[in-house]
Amino acid sequence: MHMTSSPLFHVSPSSGVPIFRQIKDQVHALLAAGTLKPGDMLPSVRELASQLEVNMMTVSKAYSRLEVDGVVERIRGKGMRVRLRDGGRSLTQRKAEFAEQMEPALHRGIQLGLSNEQMISVIQRLLQERKP
Amino acid sequence: MNHSPVIQAIELTKHFGSHQVLKGVDLQIPAGSVVGLLGTNGSGKSTLIKCLLGLLKVSSGQARLLDEEAWNLSANAKAKLGYVPQVVKLYPWMRTKQVLDYAGAFYESWDEARVSELLSLWEMDGRKQIKTLSTGQLQRLGIILAMGHHPELLILDEPAASLDPQGRRSLLRSILEMTQDQRHTVLFSTHITSDLERVASHVAILKDGVIRYFGELDELKDSVKRLRISSNRPLPTDFVVPAALRTRIDGHSATAAVASVDEETIGQWERQWEAKITIEDLNLEDIFLEMHDG
Repeated sequence: MHMTSSPLFHVSPSSGVPIFRQIKDQVHALLAAGTLKPGDMLPSVRELASQLEVNMMTVSKAYSRLEVDGVVERIRGKGMRVRLRDGGRSLTQRKAEFAEQMEPALHRGIQLGLSNEQMISVIQRLLQERKP
Repeated sequence: MNHSPVIQAIELTKHFGSHQVLKGVDLQIPAGSVVGLLGTNGSGKSTLIKCLLGLLKVSSGQARLLDEEAWNLSANAKAKLGYVPQVVKLYPWMRTKQVLDYAGAFYESWDEARVSELLSLWEMDGRKQIKTLSTGQLQRLGIILAMGHHPELLILDEPAASLDPQGRRSLLRSILEMTQDQRHTVLFSTHITSDLERVASHVAILKDGVIRYFGELDELKDSVKRLRISSNRPLPTDFVVPAALRTRIDGHSATAAVASVDEETIGQWERQWEAKITIEDLNLEDIFLEMHDG
């Protein structure tokens, strides 16, 4: 049997993480890695659904969430395009989203018994390790 | 997209003699959804499907299909319906192609090309006699028979039960293709949760004669979590996590599945029980087991 494989995306249906969230997280990861760049088009909903063999509604849900988050924009008749980094949103909005992402990590850090300084040093190290 | 429910059960009950199988099923299935009906063996999945199709008369309550009473479906409604029973029974002396032509004659919208496509996709030989087909082949034929007229609503009773993994995957792919336009509705019963996770938009869980959960699969996965609790001191034997589906205690630690949870409550419990709590995602099989064991 011919197995279709998507070069970019991969999902595990039997994971506890809903499939739409897996797709959404992977878009973020691909952006972080530089594989996806501002201005790139995401695969069409139909295309990605058939590649991953999942329900189209699942893919369109992932895309809608990314649109709400300001990561991609819907181009009429073309599909979803990755937005420029600022995404046209205010600094406050972008900071608020970052804070939302950080909160669970901080919660975990506290659980692990790390001090504020220790957590900050981890963040600094991660930032330094990032390729420019 | 039409938003009135395609399938509707209202306080539906069904008993056979003194044996009460369905005890008040309420279910509203929206158009365009792909619904997996989950339940253990003997939970009444087939009975519910037969009531919804009008193949069994309900004892009380209502079963409605395509906006009509299931027991008195019009020819028009039947033409929009595809059904694959758990056990496909056909005339043993007929050949596969004859069966398909025979069924096709009843439908105006029969799609000869699509039928041939499915036959070759599933490596079925049209010349073979029904009595020589394996259970898996019979089930595939049943599925082709139910899909040949592009039904608006497709109902499958344990469609994957006698298919091998490859056949199951191929069936799921056909269901996905069919629902691409988001106008077709599919209801299929299964006890194989992994089949459901890929294709289903919604899950209905039938337990003790009622629908215990109906909603989006994503929401179910997002809300039900397992808490792993480890305390500095032994937990009391009657330790219970509020609103848990199930709590298991083992000395200093416990696990509990909860239907919904927020960070604030977790923090509160950690202080109250002098414990560390970690939150784990559960897949559908885990959730199903949490709902059924103990």
